[in-house]
Amino acid sequence: MTKTDQPIINYDRCDLCGKCVAACPVNALHMTADGPVFNQPLTCTYCTICEDICPQGAIRAPLTVRWAS
Amino acid sequence: MIDERYFKPIPLISSLSSTTQGMIAERGFLRELQAGETLVIEGMPAEYAYFLVSGSVRVIRMRRDGRMQVLARFGPGAPLNIISLLNQKKVNRASIETLTTTALLVLSASDFDYLLSHAPDFSKALLGIFAERIATITDLAAGLSLYSVRARLAKFLIELADKPDAASGWTQDEIAAHIGTVRDVVGRLLREFEAEGLIKRSRQQISLIDREGLFNQIEHEDR
Repeated sequence: MTKTDQPIINYDRCDLCGKCVAACPVNALHMTADGPVFNQPLTCTYCTICEDICPQGAIRAPLTVRWAS
Repeated sequence: MIDERYFKPIPLISSLSSTTQGMIAERGFLRELQAGETLVIEGMPAEYAYFLVSGSVRVIRMRRDGRMQVLARFGPGAPLNIISLLNQKKVNRASIETLTTTALLVLSASDFDYLLSHAPDFSKALLGIFAERIATITDLAAGLSLYSVRARLAKFLIELADKPDAASGWTQDEIAAHIGTVRDVVGRLLREFEAEGLIKRSRQQISLIDREGLFNQIEHEDR
């Protein structure tokens, strides 16, 4: 699993509200003084709840659409 | 002085006469931003016109409840902040944020006005862009009245999968903005499509499995 397999956090936008950390159903996020980090990246299921709940739009969970081979 | 090779990814500019391109090369400048930087802030005076040389951006607005709403997403070649500059109030109508490392060709408001007055091909090309955007809005309005959100999402997923160079980096918010709905509805429909065997989701990937089934979502409403 690569670093980009987790949602992307824009720390310039983050206001440290902690809603993403509280909402993460698998506790993959942990709040630090600089903002949330994926301290359990392997447990992240890419459910995108963190992206949805962030009021600042600081978290992006980009998707790629393709035809199944 | 901008090297004119930067004009190539911008059809609006690369199609102009050499005289007009010379004016732009002389007056414009390049700006590079990293992913996640804010280029334009909603409500602030509109001071520059931008033309995307490379990278991608999203246009966003803050809603009254404090949440961010994605309005659109643009890639190379797109002119940005033009309507704000043409508007009499000259105020940025929305914020623009970079999604990737981005290079932009920048014209100040006064140079933009100068080109509008002195380069008819520039003005005509801008009118062409407006015509395209009006056509896009008209298509969206037609889609909103003719097709359900379900059909619009199926259609958009097919369009994305058919264009591999445009198929990456879409969030559910951005998909929702593009098809005229909200994120929650996109999320629910993606779950429904998956349950019906039309698509398969795997972390960042949405794989379209049932081509006929997805087309049926659209054709069902064309009858």
